[in-house]
Amino acid sequence: MRLVIAECTVDYDGRLTAHLPRAVRLLMVKADGCVAVHADGGAYKPLNWMNAPNVFTDHGDHWTVVSPKGEELKITLHEVLSDNSHELGVDPGLQKDGVEAHLQELLALDTEHIADGMKLIRREYPTEIGPVDLLCRDADGTTVAIEIKRRGEIDGVEQLTRYLDFLNRVPDLAPVRGMFVAQEIKPQAKTLASDRSIDTLEVDYDILRGIERPQQKLF
Amino acid sequence: MKFRCERDVLVEALGTASRAVSGRGGLPGLSGVRAELVGDQLSLTGSDLDLTINVTVTVSGESDGVAVIPARLASDIVRALEPGAVSLAAEADELNISAGRSDFSIRLIAGDEFPQIAGLPEESVSLASEMLAEALKQVIPAASSDDSRPILTGVLFAAEAGGLRLVATDSYRLSMRDVPGASILDEGQSVLIPSRALNELNRILGGGDEVQLRLGEREASFEVGPVRLITRLIEGEFPNYRGLIPDEHPNVLTVERSELLDALRRVKLLAREATPVRLEMSDAGVELVAVTQDVGTAREAVEGTYEGSPLTVAFNPQYLLEGAEVTSSEQITLSTIDELKPALVRMAGVSEFLYLLMPVRVS
Repeated sequence: MRLVIAECTVDYDGRLTAHLPRAVRLLMVKADGCVAVHADGGAYKPLNWMNAPNVFTDHGDHWTVVSPKGEELKITLHEVLSDNSHELGVDPGLQKDGVEAHLQELLALDTEHIADGMKLIRREYPTEIGPVDLLCRDADGTTVAIEIKRRGEIDGVEQLTRYLDFLNRVPDLAPVRGMFVAQEIKPQAKTLASDRSIDTLEVDYDILRGIERPQQKLF
Repeated sequence: MKFRCERDVLVEALGTASRAVSGRGGLPGLSGVRAELVGDQLSLTGSDLDLTINVTVTVSGESDGVAVIPARLASDIVRALEPGAVSLAAEADELNISAGRSDFSIRLIAGDEFPQIAGLPEESVSLASEMLAEALKQVIPAASSDDSRPILTGVLFAAEAGGLRLVATDSYRLSMRDVPGASILDEGQSVLIPSRALNELNRILGGGDEVQLRLGEREASFEVGPVRLITRLIEGEFPNYRGLIPDEHPNVLTVERSELLDALRRVKLLAREATPVRLEMSDAGVELVAVTQDVGTAREAVEGTYEGSPLTVAFNPQYLLEGAEVTSSEQITLSTIDELKPALVRMAGVSEFLYLLMPVRVS
């Protein structure tokens, strides 16, 4: 990731033409080739950008970034105030938002909310392919692997299926059944889970947090 | 493609098609309106993949062709022109718009970036526009705007006793309207149509006496005069609404609709920051009360007849207002069981419409 703070002008010539007059801006050149021009405002959106793939050429006093369609971004550097490069490595991706982590914490504290007689064995139970959110034992003594999401979609069911495959190879735990828990579960995810004998459960985050809504709901 | 037409005709057609144009980026083609000229018929189509609006207008055509034009820019330019005739000519990747002494050339969007519009069955059923407009007006406000629960953002169209039933709910209230005799679905069939598309449909329903409805597996189309609206259907199971409607309500308040609405609008001024409005019901009628801490109190009595035990029940004033507003009778009834169970707003003597509303829990 190259971060340059410079007084610059920017000219874009493609579907339309655009010009950014001379000003101090942040220029980002990502390892994947994407180039973005940011001002000190406007939230997360760049003023101008060129996605990868493209051809980036550093001419010293100016850069050119040309897309395969012939669109050209020309950045003229009048004064470079800062020029830093950092190796960020491979990004692990967005894994869990605050609500999801909190749901896991709340359900671990109150496993009876999931099902009567459900007891926690361990949170973040490790497997060779990553930790399963909750490992529990149900009222019948069967091990239950629980995957928790804020929004339950097909990929979450796939993830739980992979965990179950590994956990069922552990003699002390097998047989392990799966349970997919989310605030809302998509119909396709429910169908897939049912097809794989995985139970699904939709939970109310507010009720788990002990928040009583004065405005009641019909369902 | 080359044609001439009146500015106002083009402004309206572009405006209609553009209502389906995506404002959220995504595919470049989605920011455009596809214009196709065959003879003197100009067809304009806007789409955001979920909703597509097509409008056909008669122009003075010179040469047939197809072009995808930037929707917003073209609309702004045409709207800004002097009234009168306007000429449009698309050639290569440019669109020329001229009128009087004004002349604009703008870059077109590549035609292959515009989405393919799904085909729908030829078979159609027709409905009276006015009747559908009234029914939609009554149910759409109860649909949810929260995209995290997509099923609740739709309106259920279901076959019911040889007619059509429309149902919408955001889980706090539920609106249901029966349209007897409108047998557009097979018995037992139901579809879930996005309320956003139905809002757009309501805007165009005034353009014709009848609306032609076509149902595909995943899409529905509504045709009113020269405008055709195609929407994706929402997949999933609508909540079992029948089980939510109580069989009996021991308390029934009957009031003049306009008196209740006026009083509610006044009292609502003091129901701030999610403060509910309390309805104190007794033989004398109902008293509406709103108390907002550190702001003040509002109280207004509305005459009416009340059958049942004296009861105080509180509602979100906006929800109650919206339920009463979509009624059309002189008198309306509010049926209650107790202060926590769902209440029912109905038009007195009319069984085709009901609005179910959950109370707010107050100490």
